[in-house]
Amino acid sequence: MRILLQLALILGICYAGDLIHKSTDIPIPGNILGMLILLVLLCLKIVKLDHIKEVSDFFLKRLSFFFLPPAIGLMLVGDDVKSRWPLLLFLCIVLTIVTMAATGWTVQLLSKNSKDCTPTPKNSSKQSKV
Amino acid sequence: MFGIILTIIAFEIGIFINNKWRNPLLNPILIATVLIIGFLTVTGIEYETYKVGGDYISFFLGPVTVLLAVPLYKQIQSLKRYWFPILAGITVGSATSVICVIACAKMFNLSKTLMLSLTPKSITIPMGSVFSEQIGGIPSITIVSIVITGITGAVTAPLVCRYFRIKNPVAQGVAIGTASHALGTTKAMEIGEIQGAMSSLSIGVAGVITVFITPALLKVFA
Repeated sequence: MRILLQLALILGICYAGDLIHKSTDIPIPGNILGMLILLVLLCLKIVKLDHIKEVSDFFLKRLSFFFLPPAIGLMLVGDDVKSRWPLLLFLCIVLTIVTMAATGWTVQLLSKNSKDCTPTPKNSSKQSKV
Repeated sequence: MFGIILTIIAFEIGIFINNKWRNPLLNPILIATVLIIGFLTVTGIEYETYKVGGDYISFFLGPVTVLLAVPLYKQIQSLKRYWFPILAGITVGSATSVICVIACAKMFNLSKTLMLSLTPKSITIPMGSVFSEQIGGIPSITIVSIVITGITGAVTAPLVCRYFRIKNPVAQGVAIGTASHALGTTKAMEIGEIQGAMSSLSIGVAGVITVFITPALLKVFA
């Protein structure tokens, strides 16, 4: 598909997501609804990966570039927030470790009950590094 | 125009530094954010002037999030065999993250806006920043907390897996991706192929699950 058409398709899906978000009470942002729409279209093979290859390569390779302008809004936060930064940093670090442990334990516990708890590794040499 | 050029230059410098030293602490987003804010502060240019160009770039956050379906679709086959433990693990992990943020916010007397800004901190930035704005948080604080979370995940993942005895490769990958999105996934890919695939699958799934369960959790706990 031509590159501008690919872009139009993605923008169209994004727009559809926004419309659904605005016209219903679903508390899910329009762009995430758009992602689910594209996922369904891909799973149903209505849209193929080849159809959107150029656009998805372009955007996904520079993903973090598009987050920069919203991050600069940090300049506007007040002193009440600035004084809490050490605490926020501490919370982010501790909670990441807690979340990781809770997720890992749950998956490990539940997959122990099923018979084959480890999938056959394709590349076993890489497996034992942790 | 000015905002666009400044963002591109800062981003390229960030990528360059990150490629040169390959240290997760030298995150390109963090470097570029510091550079841009530093430049605007030193030159005395108003944030509003920057925002004119910046808005053109942030417009693309919408389509970029839609395109996250592509990596998710590529990994969705790996969900088929272990879908129950994986989905249960991601749900437990996402809920743990959100509930802990609410609990800590109460414990440390954080303002409601700050608490809401931190709740999506474990999910990927395009989802988290938009979701934060929707529930009443400040997107820029959310983005920075997401980056710090990702860096923490990338640095501590091997230690956490060892210390908490998470040995199953599927469990390791899901844990890393759920807790620390794409930044942690770079580490998961170094650890192993299964870990990498599971981690990248978990980024999108954790984002969607977090967005679905957070409103209810906020109602119950906050």
